[in-house]
Amino acid sequence: MGAESMVQLAGLTKRFGRNTALDDVSLTIGPGEVFGYLGPNGAGKTTTIRLLMGMLRPSAGTANVLGLDSWRQSRDVHRLVGYVPGEPALYERLTGSQHVAYCSHLRHRDDRQLAAEVAARLDLDLDRPARTLSRGNRQKLAIVLAVMSRPRLLVLDEPTSGIDPLVQQVFHSILREHTADGGSALFSSHVLGEVERVADRIGVVRQGKLVAVERLQDLAARSLHRVRARFGEEVSRAEFAGVPGVRDLQVDGRTLSCNAPQAALDALLKLVSAREVEDFECSEAPLEEMFLGYYGMEQHSGSPSARKVETAAGRTGHAG
Amino acid sequence: MLASVLLKTLRDQGRLLLGWAVSLALIVATYAAIWPSVQSQPSMSDFIDQMPEAFRSLFATSSADMSTPTGYIQVELLSFMGPIAVLIYAISTGAGAIGGEEDRHTMDLLLSNPVGRARVVVDKFLAMVLGTFLLAGVMGLSLVLEGNLADMVLPPDKVAAAMLHLALLGVVFGSLALALSAATGRTGLSRGIPAVLAVLAYIVNALAPLVDAFRRIQKASPFYQYVGQDPLRQGVAWDSVLVSGITIAVLVALAVPGFRRRDVAA
Repeated sequence: MGAESMVQLAGLTKRFGRNTALDDVSLTIGPGEVFGYLGPNGAGKTTTIRLLMGMLRPSAGTANVLGLDSWRQSRDVHRLVGYVPGEPALYERLTGSQHVAYCSHLRHRDDRQLAAEVAARLDLDLDRPARTLSRGNRQKLAIVLAVMSRPRLLVLDEPTSGIDPLVQQVFHSILREHTADGGSALFSSHVLGEVERVADRIGVVRQGKLVAVERLQDLAARSLHRVRARFGEEVSRAEFAGVPGVRDLQVDGRTLSCNAPQAALDALLKLVSAREVEDFECSEAPLEEMFLGYYGMEQHSGSPSARKVETAAGRTGHAG
Repeated sequence: MLASVLLKTLRDQGRLLLGWAVSLALIVATYAAIWPSVQSQPSMSDFIDQMPEAFRSLFATSSADMSTPTGYIQVELLSFMGPIAVLIYAISTGAGAIGGEEDRHTMDLLLSNPVGRARVVVDKFLAMVLGTFLLAGVMGLSLVLEGNLADMVLPPDKVAAAMLHLALLGVVFGSLALALSAATGRTGLSRGIPAVLAVLAYIVNALAPLVDAFRRIQKASPFYQYVGQDPLRQGVAWDSVLVSGITIAVLVALAVPGFRRRDVAA
């Protein structure tokens, strides 16, 4: 791909003292592509993004945007990129419009018109000083500042955290318009649900390593089905454990529950029907759950409610 | 006022600078108000003459004659209060220039625009220089105008010379603070080191007549560049101005690569 690719990370590594925050990450993002960058807090998402933005100096490897080196040519890179930082810090005494004016001047452009349009779509009042804005509204202002210059690449560090679902949808359509024009995006999140509607591919980072890159389509094809059955008699776990692909198998007296990929359903169903069945249920598991199962992204043992748990730690300093 | 990093930085300092300017004008007004009673008390000069020599070197200027406006201002304002005020402003502004924006987490926002790090350092430096010169200017103007009201007549050209040297003293230490801030991002350290060095430089210059070791390094002290050649009586000492200018240029030249080579704190 070379210079054709929008973003190219090659062996990107960042060490803080003896702690390796990011370890040999390589990936490519093409034109028009939205790349979902997933991982628990502290896994290295923010470090990757800040390396790409030239805020951090790589310990090894390179990050490129359209062939420009993120560290050595950061000024040129910034001309092409709109950035929403993880914790959008703003100038507390400036209003939204003043932020727009300042960033426009620094970019030598006049983006006030588009900024006003985006702000209106996100239902953001640009006349209020930043210090009076709620977390969600600060996030909206950061989005306005990132998209108003019509950048080729959007680098978004958890852009929709703190934003209510309706506004998230508006943001998603802004993102789709951006990619329709050939723009790309790197979109980080610790929740698959946040990116599954907009991402073309997904990368999972854990403990500084990129452990998987999947097309969202392929992921959906491999999606698991949740199977539950109640029998008229006691059954044993051993009877069903042999079916290849079956996961999370639980047999408790007369009930069975498990997750199974599509390919395992036939074999499983035949074993189940060999017994006297009182009740049977088979449903597609949410993508998220399956995804968590594959890559162990859960921060707490198994409970789906834990997936939204966000700790303040890991977002500060260099931990991200 | 949001057209550049420089103007934005000055805008941020607006209220702070106004506060400083008013305070300095009031301080000068106080000295001017006391002047008539000092003038009619020749014993003040005797009092200073009777101080132990080390003490007199530290807290007054040895040759000062308190019965003239020039001597009075030299002792009361220029040897202590003036430098302290200007140094506090310049050092804290320099230290906050880069590190402060990182402490408030706004550096990512600023640098995500196509603004080079060198530009940020230079604009923050220029804002500190303008602020320091503004304060020295206010102090000089107050001395001349308020002095006239209180019959404390000072030659405007000599006051201007003294204020130029005072501003350069502030900018030297402010630039040191800025260079440390740029290279480390640590505001406290960038404030602390220049403050300690300013005290040492002050002592070296003040005690040079008494301590041999200090006499040898006296001319390296920015306080020597400031008052060593008595600008309030002799006018501008261009060699001292040149030394200060070179010091400042070197510090800014170090600040740019210092900031360019390091990680920015989130």
